[in-house]
Amino acid sequence: MTFFLQLVVTGLVVGAVYAMVALGFVLIYKSSDVINFAQGELLLVGAYTCWTLVAVYHVPFLLAMAVSICVSLFLGIAIERMVLRSFINEPVISVIMATLGLSSAMRGILQVIWSTDTKTFPEIFPSAPVIIGPIAVSRVYLYSLFISLAMLVIFSLFFKYSNMGIAMRATADDQQAALSMGISVKVIFAATWAIAAVVAGIGGILLGNINGVNPSLSHIGLTVLPVAILGGLDSIPGAILGGLFIGVLESLSGGYLDPLLGGGVKEVAPFVVLVLILMIRPYGLFGQEIIERV
Amino acid sequence: MRLRNPFVMESGVFTTNYRDDMAFHFPVLAKIRVAVILLLLFLLPFFASTYFVSIANLAGIAVIGALGLNILTGFTGQISIGQGAFLGVGAYTAGFITAKLGLPFWLALPAAGFVTALVGAVFGVPSLRLKGLYLAIATLAAQVIIEFVIVHWETVTNGVHGMFLPAPGIFGYALDSDVSYYYLVLTACIIMTVFCFNLFRSRVGRAFIAIRDRDLAAEVMGIDLFRYKIYAFALSSFYVGIAGALWGHYLRIISPEHFTIGVSIQYLAMVIIGGLGSVMGSIYGAVFITLLPIVLRELSGLLANYLPNIEAVILGLKEAVFGITIIVFLIYEPEGLAKIWQNIKDYFKLWPFSY
Amino acid sequence: MFHRLCWLAVLTSLLLVISLAAGCGSSENVREPVKLGGIFDITGATGDVGKPYAEGVQAYVKWINENGGINGRTVQLVDIDYAYKIPQAVEAYKKLVTQEKVPAILGWGTGDTEAMVPFITKDRIPYISGSLSENLLTVENHPYNFMVAASYSDQARVLLRWIKDNAAEENPKVALIYNDTGFGRSPITDAEAFAEKIGVEIVDKEIVDLKALDATSQLLNIQKAGADYAIIQETSNATATILKDAKRLGLDIQFLGLNWTADEISLKLAGEAAEGYIGVVPFAFPFEDVPGMKDVREGFALMGKKPEELTQKHIQGWLSAMIMLEGYKRAGENITGENIKKGLETLNEFTSGDLGAPVSFSASSHRGSSKVKLYQVKNGQWQPITDWIGYQ
Repeated sequence: MTFFLQLVVTGLVVGAVYAMVALGFVLIYKSSDVINFAQGELLLVGAYTCWTLVAVYHVPFLLAMAVSICVSLFLGIAIERMVLRSFINEPVISVIMATLGLSSAMRGILQVIWSTDTKTFPEIFPSAPVIIGPIAVSRVYLYSLFISLAMLVIFSLFFKYSNMGIAMRATADDQQAALSMGISVKVIFAATWAIAAVVAGIGGILLGNINGVNPSLSHIGLTVLPVAILGGLDSIPGAILGGLFIGVLESLSGGYLDPLLGGGVKEVAPFVVLVLILMIRPYGLFGQEIIERV
Repeated sequence: MRLRNPFVMESGVFTTNYRDDMAFHFPVLAKIRVAVILLLLFLLPFFASTYFVSIANLAGIAVIGALGLNILTGFTGQISIGQGAFLGVGAYTAGFITAKLGLPFWLALPAAGFVTALVGAVFGVPSLRLKGLYLAIATLAAQVIIEFVIVHWETVTNGVHGMFLPAPGIFGYALDSDVSYYYLVLTACIIMTVFCFNLFRSRVGRAFIAIRDRDLAAEVMGIDLFRYKIYAFALSSFYVGIAGALWGHYLRIISPEHFTIGVSIQYLAMVIIGGLGSVMGSIYGAVFITLLPIVLRELSGLLANYLPNIEAVILGLKEAVFGITIIVFLIYEPEGLAKIWQNIKDYFKLWPFSY
Repeated sequence: MFHRLCWLAVLTSLLLVISLAAGCGSSENVREPVKLGGIFDITGATGDVGKPYAEGVQAYVKWINENGGINGRTVQLVDIDYAYKIPQAVEAYKKLVTQEKVPAILGWGTGDTEAMVPFITKDRIPYISGSLSENLLTVENHPYNFMVAASYSDQARVLLRWIKDNAAEENPKVALIYNDTGFGRSPITDAEAFAEKIGVEIVDKEIVDLKALDATSQLLNIQKAGADYAIIQETSNATATILKDAKRLGLDIQFLGLNWTADEISLKLAGEAAEGYIGVVPFAFPFEDVPGMKDVREGFALMGKKPEELTQKHIQGWLSAMIMLEGYKRAGENITGENIKKGLETLNEFTSGDLGAPVSFSASSHRGSSKVKLYQVKNGQWQPITDWIGYQ
């Protein structure tokens, strides 16, 4: 029983990290119908900036985090302005390739600035785990669980009640109509990218504290993509629940199926489930169904 | 009657019946041009260095793979991020047949195509219900699942240890040097390119294009969406399988690390930069992406002679330039190198009286 | 519109022309330097450890040129970054061999080294790689691959032997943790066979991905299997994940790892969790005062690198270059691939000033050594607990 519980809890907290990264995908998709393959690199920017401030300039962690969030914010706006604005109303394949290109470009530039070696954060979160009954959980993971739940609440409310949130949803639904209602689509897109970059930046900082920062950290972007798809690309609860679901799925299949099938199932399981779910619900678990008319 | 004066440039459309209109538009000058290019390609090893021929081999294999992806993505509008894994299916099928069963390469090559086509068709099934991004993700799943199978199905693939392949032979002569292999790759390239040109003048090819342009409208016009989407996946995978078989037998060793997601992205970049939905574009794109890192490297080496510390920076920027090139093409010329070349030709066609 | 197009076209053709011109501009010298090829990963997926390795090679070449070169000739290193992509590695190889005409190459990863095997055998190019995969050691299939340190399989065997000799139990229970790549799986079958031979029980095998954020499920399974020891074959990041998770779960298991798990990075990442961890170290740490380290520091000083900036991977690159160039020295005046191979095969207990274990090659074996040192993390520092030991 402890075995099962430990697996579930670990799955949940790791899933929370996935959820946070997936949230970045969803935010961008929700308001601009773009899937951002450069999400992993946005994580890196946050992580590297924070690392530089903390480890090189000895800035207090919270202040460093705030500064990195600002950097991410402006970077998000800059990316939207310089790259993505040209792709409004372009076919999906162009947009996918543009963000893939963006990811290569950013990775190259980051490499020139920060080189490729692994940077380690000085210990910020106490390494002693939190013990809940028979289960031990790392603090960093616990924080990320709290943060992603907080973001779930904040963004759900944001999209439901704030003017900006409503305008974002309107833009996603129909750009023409939104424009004619006096919504500035450009501002909306810029805001979206800024928010998504900030979310990614926070995720990057947490991830950097878990296992250091080096360019391979950006691969988590690809790992987390099934999460966003599974939950439905346009659903914030979908991203969070999808993240937790995939986390638990990985953990349980690692615990119970790995010994049976000779290992390695943990990494493929999400993709197998993904294909199955897409066959039944092509728009993800919580995604909005699009009805096509000729 | 078409104008048949070999000494003038082609300057307009002079067909007078539908048959001529449907034909490859081949004025005498164009025929000569094609013949000269083919001749030059066949004579290349006689005046180029071995190194150059080896690059041509890499580019030629990439051309076949890019043609395959373009059939699917450029002509049928179905995105695939699983190209790298399908390449692996082709390479391993061919490898299994030549290395483990000991059968000749000439049997393995088509077999690799057909097996990959079958696997591609299976992973094409979700395309009936999935579109755009969701389909892209489903093919990403195909990539991950196939990679897993290659690593774990050790009786067939030797798992992570990789597999040694024999060199293909013809009339007792082993094609194990760059030059001899070049002729194999070149022949395959020409056959595949001509087939591809003709495909889009056929019923099936036109159905693909109809599906790309508007799938619902295509269905209303009587195109069986499911069947033709599966055809597209199968045909595209056939090409990729052939490319995989050629790649495996060129290296003469294959291991799972050759067929990762990075390869898939490279191929996508080829069709984007070359031109989606253009046969010639696939060729230009494949050559461009193969040459890009080489050119950048030579350039950085050259600059390093003058600015000693620049090399490290340029090395890092190689990746960045790859990405920026893709973005620049997408923004300024979404139809790729094929369109640029076309524009240049159009300009000179009417030059100097363009207006 | 057309202007833009023109620019693009002009730019591309210019690039092409320049690159072709660059390829043609080689000139003849009276006392020609000898060339050494390098295929490194500086900017790719393994750039974090590939770059120091490449720098180690560069530093050694610089150093030897300052100190008289090889038989009076300078060494010219022609190195190419292949960004851990196999097609680029193949292209780099073709350039090095057919255009630059290098007689020998220093390479990097497991996958690309294996991809080169048919080529180097045909072209007769001695090849020393950063990969220590046992696969590369069958001389019939890999006559031109040389290995400068104990292979992963040998490292695992040494660890198993050490466990057997030091365990309180009669049949110690060991788990293997590895990743699902050629690199990760390389020692597993050999380790199992050896364990059976010497009476160590392998109770569990677990796969942890190189990019894993978490290894809880695998570690719990190891615990369930009742393992007292676990041998890790990963890279630094995954190792740190495993060690931290094990500490969090409070597992009472002694962890031991092969060479890529035992370096400065895993130590820094794992922090306190690394305490007591035992690692295989085939190459000296730069902070050690072994006889060969003086030259290393001099060599890196020529590159403008301070001793405290060095990592163990720098030493690995340095040592690989040193041994390859020793082969050049022994090849005599006519430096060809075949002669270098013959030269390398005369190496007998070649000591590198204790930077690595003494290296011997022969015509029938390219296994440079099967000996390693074991180090343990004590008070946040790697400290040697054995001398060079084997598994016999």
